[in-house]
Amino acid sequence: MDDLTRRIEAILHLAPRPVTPAVLATACCADEESVLTAVSELTGEFAEGRHGLEVREVAGGFQFVVARECEDAVTAFAGAREIDDLSPALLETVAVVAYLQPTTRAEVARVRGVSSEWALAALEERGLVEERGRADTPGAPLLYGTTGRFLELFGLADVGGLPPLDDFAPGRDDVEELRARLLANAERRTQ
Amino acid sequence: MTPAPAYPSGLNVDLDVFSGPFDLLVTLVLREEIDLWEVSVSRLIADYVVELADAGEFDLETTSQFLVHVATLLEMKSRLLLALPGWEDEEELEAEEAGEELLAALVRYTQFRRAADALAERWASHAKRIARRAALPQRYCRRHTVERRLPASALASAMAPLLREPKAPDASHITSVAVTLVEELRRLRDLLSRDGGFTFLGVAPRGRLERAVTFFALLELHNRGEARLQQKRAFDDIVVTLPDAAAAGG
Repeated sequence: MDDLTRRIEAILHLAPRPVTPAVLATACCADEESVLTAVSELTGEFAEGRHGLEVREVAGGFQFVVARECEDAVTAFAGAREIDDLSPALLETVAVVAYLQPTTRAEVARVRGVSSEWALAALEERGLVEERGRADTPGAPLLYGTTGRFLELFGLADVGGLPPLDDFAPGRDDVEELRARLLANAERRTQ
Repeated sequence: MTPAPAYPSGLNVDLDVFSGPFDLLVTLVLREEIDLWEVSVSRLIADYVVELADAGEFDLETTSQFLVHVATLLEMKSRLLLALPGWEDEEELEAEEAGEELLAALVRYTQFRRAADALAERWASHAKRIARRAALPQRYCRRHTVERRLPASALASAMAPLLREPKAPDASHITSVAVTLVEELRRLRDLLSRDGGFTFLGVAPRGRLERAVTFFALLELHNRGEARLQQKRAFDDIVVTLPDAAAAGG
């Protein structure tokens, strides 16, 4: 392996969180382009099925992760506690924040149709969502956005890596079905 | 429909249409068993204020609850006042609009619901991957955190030297240049027009810096075409003449 690649390998080996190309470049006295070339060499070296570790690009940087087929062994060795899954309410809330960020608590509640105070607090506590200053609107409400931890846990290099929101827009048939259900509900209530 | 609100203090109201606990009144109004037209909200408020004054103590929670319910009653009543005869059609239209709004909200919600499902899939395949999370050993860290508590005076004594005006630096070893380029240019021009020419060593002052200024002035004169410079070989004296005189000589 190239000398620069080996130095980057050493840094990633010790780093407690993803390391950005800029930080790698500074540490190795190299330009970012050479760093990216070296990282791709490293990624190839640690391609799936070759080592117990893999290199993944996440949260704007690179990190070593345990290869999937080795996870059981590592868990057995370290007794690693699995991360609690997110409830549907939390997933929904984090989705709204991720796509609309920076956004306010009121906007999240408007989309979800229910008060989201608790959900936002729970996401904040899990380090997935953080405060991002205040909106320049009456009342100056707090703004929320997603964190680097969010990117890590969802395996995203950056927020731009989220699939476009338009991909999830309900089709015409779905809208008609929603309308029909709405009408049925209204009729049931008036009876 | 609406659960009866609890009033620890149990305000009793005495109105024409109703006499009894306030919470019961609110419940009955919400159930439309009492016509809100008949309820004097201002009387309710006056009664409550009197009750508060008599009680001599102020319970924030009870008062807040009272405010919320009175505000609700007021809002309902103001809506009643606005609902004039002949509005039924428009109300129906509004209902339709409201339906469309509700549908739009549902469509938007569905979109995010699906986005959340996609995120759930990503979560399932990424969240449990194992990466190093432990911090670097302390001795490799660039900054060591100060563990022991320091007194505030330590902060003050650290700050004090920064706030003190530093002594002016001693500049006595730096020679101050007495001649400016402009002055030297004027002197050389005078010499040139008076004598028609001179040599560098003949007019240059003693000091090295002053000489440098003279040299710069010469270069400037040459550059502007006001003087002609001649030097037989390197480090030789420089002969300065008027340009036309030189032309006549050469």
